[in-house]
Amino acid sequence: MYETAVVTDQLLSVGEKFADFTKAVTTKASIAQTPKELIWTLNKAKLYRYIPVLPKEERHPVPLLLVFALMNRPYILDLKPGHSFVEFMVKSGYDLYLLDWGAPGPEDKNLKFDDYALDYLPRAIRKLKVVSGSEEFSMLGWCIGAIITTIYAALRPDDGLRNLVLLTAPLDFSNKDAITFSRWVDERYFDVDKVLTAFGNMPGEMIDYGAKALKPVENYVGNYLKLWDNLDNPQVVDAWRAMNTWVTDNVPLAGGAFRQLVVDLYRNDRLMRGEWIIRGERIDLSRISAKLLTVIAEGDHITPPCQSAAIMSRVSSTDKELFRIPGGHIGIMAGSGAGKRTWPHIENWLAPRSD
Amino acid sequence: MREKQAANGKEFDSTDAFREMRDTYLDAWAKSMVDTVNTDAYAKASGMMLNNYLSASSPFREAVEKVMLQALQQFSMPSRADVVSIAERTVNIEVRLDDMDAKLDRIEKSLASSRPASRARSAARPAVRPAATKSRKKGAK
Repeated sequence: MYETAVVTDQLLSVGEKFADFTKAVTTKASIAQTPKELIWTLNKAKLYRYIPVLPKEERHPVPLLLVFALMNRPYILDLKPGHSFVEFMVKSGYDLYLLDWGAPGPEDKNLKFDDYALDYLPRAIRKLKVVSGSEEFSMLGWCIGAIITTIYAALRPDDGLRNLVLLTAPLDFSNKDAITFSRWVDERYFDVDKVLTAFGNMPGEMIDYGAKALKPVENYVGNYLKLWDNLDNPQVVDAWRAMNTWVTDNVPLAGGAFRQLVVDLYRNDRLMRGEWIIRGERIDLSRISAKLLTVIAEGDHITPPCQSAAIMSRVSSTDKELFRIPGGHIGIMAGSGAGKRTWPHIENWLAPRSD
Repeated sequence: MREKQAANGKEFDSTDAFREMRDTYLDAWAKSMVDTVNTDAYAKASGMMLNNYLSASSPFREAVEKVMLQALQQFSMPSRADVVSIAERTVNIEVRLDDMDAKLDRIEKSLASSRPASRARSAARPAVRPAATKSRKKGAK
């Protein structure tokens, strides 16, 4: 009789746990809550300015523009109150702007890096200069956003870019053995034109599958076990839900940009070879003269460290730093240790260069 | 073990040993899977699967598109191509508006920069004006 009661209790407890688990997996967390205003839009792209919390005289005069990747939502930078890079930088006195590329529709299937780097970004920067009243600015590019900011910095070196921060920047595609994506999109196995003929843009779900398949056990099993094991810890559950909300919010990648990513970069490494031509202009990395901070995640499986280091010797910037940090592609900026390691380092580097 | 954990202040959990075993197994599995996906064989297999899917679904997709187009025409509704064309034209208009916005900003800026100079001129004018007025009056006479 006693044993039956114990078994019943345990079953009930597992049932409750399962309900909590399902709720955490299927509900969205409240994210991106730092107050901001929309100051510019073009097509799907939006430029936001975060409302400053410090008076003007206590803020850095050089504004900072955040440029995130094309195939994910940028609110990973503003995940949740108390754990947000955006919130941290606003409180540190930065006039902070965020460029959200939005989700491309069928009409955007021909958009290329040319358009993002030499049309959308310069237009957004023009608006930033007008609103901030500063002719100089800093820019932080993360992942594909780092490719776009690098193109811009190389092709428009006299446009007022004072500081350039590159986070997990996939720029060097020469070491094919170390880059799993290079293997997957090899022309012997992957027909990029067939995919784009079928879909127009590269579907977000396929990009998500590709990113998760790099570490299938961690992403498809370990991630959910971590939640199950910590269901009685509200902090862990909240953080997990916020991250899951972001991970499952996929954005397609414009077909033209995807083709360039595969053909020009992953297959032919045209950027580092100095052979990449954007709107008739050859990208010469030695034309980058802005102060440069490159952040490498040592455990990055999406952008292995070998992809980001080579730019340091190619630029003509005299003030440059390569910062290596333990962690993964997203973890270094959104993980539990980000607020103690990565964010303060970026802030400490930027602060004296933003006055 | 129970006493040892009690001494550490932790409650005894019979599933701890299972969890440890599970995590050890998962670690080993994860490492082997990472190695597996980073091979030419995996790249070839996944590429082939995608290729087969696209080849198999292509006729079906084309048929659906054709039927959909006919249905939309029947109901006098715009097709996807029509909507895409309108969206492209809207983006073109947005670009023109952004160009105009840039021009307005430039004009505003140049006006603002010329304003202090004109203010300085008008501030200096009173000293000159009486004489000028005088001479004009003289001329009038």
